[in-house]
Amino acid sequence: MNQTEIREGFLNPLSSDGQRILHENIDLNSIFDENEKLIEIINRVGHGIMDDDSKIPKSLGELAIKRIEWYFREKNDKKFKINEYSYFFNEDIYENDVVCFHLLAQAIAQQYNTNSREARLFFESQKRIIEERLNRMNTEFRNYIVDNTLDELLNNITTLKWTDLINLISSKKISLEDLLLSGGEIILNEDDFRETFYTEIEDWQERRIESVYNELVGYKVKELILTQIIVQNTEEYLKNIKEKLAIIDIHPKIKKLSEELEKQLKKLTEKYSEFYGSGSGFSNEFDKAEKLMKEAFPPCVLKTIEGVKSGNRNDAIVLFLTSFISYSRLYPQVFKNNENISISDVDPNLDITFNEILPIINEAAENAVPPLFEDQPQEKINIVSKLGFGMHSEPKLENEGETKWYTPMSCEKIKIHLGNLCHPNKACKKIGNPLSYYSMRKWQLKKDGKLNNTSKDSSKKKDKKNK
Amino acid sequence: MVNIFAPATIKERRQYYREEWSEKDLPNFISEELYKREFGFDHYGKGPNDRYKVFKNKDSLKKFMRIKAPFAGYVSVAFYNNPQRRGDWIKSEFVFDVDAKDMPIRSCNCESVCKICLGEALEFVQLLIDTLKTDLGIKNIHLIYSGRGYHVRILDPAIMETESELRGEVVKYVVGANVPENSISLGYTNLFNRRVKRNIFHLTGHETLDGINSKLLKDTIKHRDLLKDNSWGLFKGQIGPIRYKNLLAGMARVNLSMVDAKVSIDLKRILRLPSSLHSKVSMKCVEVKNPETFDPFKYAVPKFVHEREEKNKENVNENKKEK
Repeated sequence: MNQTEIREGFLNPLSSDGQRILHENIDLNSIFDENEKLIEIINRVGHGIMDDDSKIPKSLGELAIKRIEWYFREKNDKKFKINEYSYFFNEDIYENDVVCFHLLAQAIAQQYNTNSREARLFFESQKRIIEERLNRMNTEFRNYIVDNTLDELLNNITTLKWTDLINLISSKKISLEDLLLSGGEIILNEDDFRETFYTEIEDWQERRIESVYNELVGYKVKELILTQIIVQNTEEYLKNIKEKLAIIDIHPKIKKLSEELEKQLKKLTEKYSEFYGSGSGFSNEFDKAEKLMKEAFPPCVLKTIEGVKSGNRNDAIVLFLTSFISYSRLYPQVFKNNENISISDVDPNLDITFNEILPIINEAAENAVPPLFEDQPQEKINIVSKLGFGMHSEPKLENEGETKWYTPMSCEKIKIHLGNLCHPNKACKKIGNPLSYYSMRKWQLKKDGKLNNTSKDSSKKKDKKNK
Repeated sequence: MVNIFAPATIKERRQYYREEWSEKDLPNFISEELYKREFGFDHYGKGPNDRYKVFKNKDSLKKFMRIKAPFAGYVSVAFYNNPQRRGDWIKSEFVFDVDAKDMPIRSCNCESVCKICLGEALEFVQLLIDTLKTDLGIKNIHLIYSGRGYHVRILDPAIMETESELRGEVVKYVVGANVPENSISLGYTNLFNRRVKRNIFHLTGHETLDGINSKLLKDTIKHRDLLKDNSWGLFKGQIGPIRYKNLLAGMARVNLSMVDAKVSIDLKRILRLPSSLHSKVSMKCVEVKNPETFDPFKYAVPKFVHEREEKNKENVNENKKEK
């Protein structure tokens, strides 16, 4: 075994090196037994945790849970200090950590869906662990290990094209803008960098060329590609395990690990649920169906209701608003539950649809310039069809199912289809769909106790107007 | 003077398809595998509602065009094994659609389209094509004059089987739809700066641009000469850091709305058929062989429009005689 192999496993637990370590070290029956070797390592490389026994993982099972705990707390705990978990970033831990990675993958695949928040926590934590480990290496070593790991991941291909990364680009793990491109190829080494930008860097100092190369490519693009390929492979790995678990029985110790993990996540969520959606998929309280709260609508929805101009009217009202309003009122958890339902499953007499949903859509249609139904009365039918009631002039239970209840557009789609509606505020940056914005704001407003006040205020104003 | 953009009469349409149009005018990229594409037609000028048409070969298309002389003809960007039902999708061209009248910045500020904005649209699609080639290494790019703007139609196998998500990402890169994260003017940052610079020099001061108020617009024009030699730092100093940030965000928005991005991510879109007549404006939809020398008023005006002009001259002369 040589040094290079060891270090690939340190960044990439799925590498051949990682696989080897797993097979040499795995003993499922003992994962919750006290592991003296592990404790010895933690004692040696852990910082400032010796005074608190609960901070020291004593078995591989505990180490695995600490791995998720670390990431969860880093994300959600404002007072969090990374030193408590510094052993994760020390090379001495890496054989144990490789085993933990694989244990966690099994446990999560056993207990949760591959697109659940728990699975995402696992993927994101892997990404962060790689980043943090790289950050703590000295330059020379860092370059060396990145090049080697990347070579193995890319099967030693000499020129990498952006079209080789189509999956990563489509899923927005890597954006084209991050890459330096020339003739379709991604510039990765310094010679190509100098060659491609010859004219641009002609007058630069040698020092500046080197530092810019490192800033844009050396530390950035290479590490980004490396990390994201590993994350993508981890996602696929989890999917594969999930498929296999459908046939094979799970080991009782893995089952125990899933249970322990669930317990711990629940505890963490209760303790640190400062932010809505802070990795907590454990409560549906914030996205239950209840009366609409306009105060929590995102800017794009408010803009649509206030009135959209011709050219955008149809898509804004028929495609975007109709689905947003209906889902946020009736089934805000649509993306979490991942199942297709009909309006009558949640609104059996269509009372809410007629009294609360359609009035808002009609209001937006009326406010449009020119009013939507004046010159395009057929759009009424299209709205009904997007609610899942076929091509008819109003929703009727007997027609339900002739069309599908259209799910709300993502922010990404809105940007492309209805660019002028999208004026993101700070809260928008945290979400990818207006529906999640709504749930998040609702939760925040409730938490701050602002919602009731503003609701009262706005109703007072209305009263005054009416008088 | 005759309005060159006046709609074509049914008589003119028939004359066009009988006397001027030939199936040989179809670009090769359309006539090869013609039978795998969906065709759509607009017979009455109310939108393409005669869809799901399939032609076995050029001859059957020829027959149809001559008999029907449609108001407008369209062809799918998609190839299907079963085009009649839009079934069994194989692949789609990747398209950029630039409509001269929808460009948020155009120095003519005309009501619909004119020589100036069509010229600016052509200049703009050339920039897109350049980025597609030099940055992304994309090949097999065709440029089509659509009658009121341009279509860039890409048949590179590397991208024809990709889904909407990827196409959206490519569009955003090529047009410069995101404000870059770093300010080192290489790669995407350089591309973005070039696009923004171009926008700024095309401003007239009469635009209404989302996110850029009139004061900011005015000041941008006032200080734009600083950008001639890329003194972005000085320019930023004049505008102020917060307003500069707003300006860039607004410009990223402008960049995205220079193209109709909906078209680019739509895998089943139909686009105006090259060689067909755009009856609303009496222009031919034609493939642009050489963008450097292309002039729609030279290459895309059907014969009947010239005849109109001549007839008009005769009428004027006759009127004069009578007087």
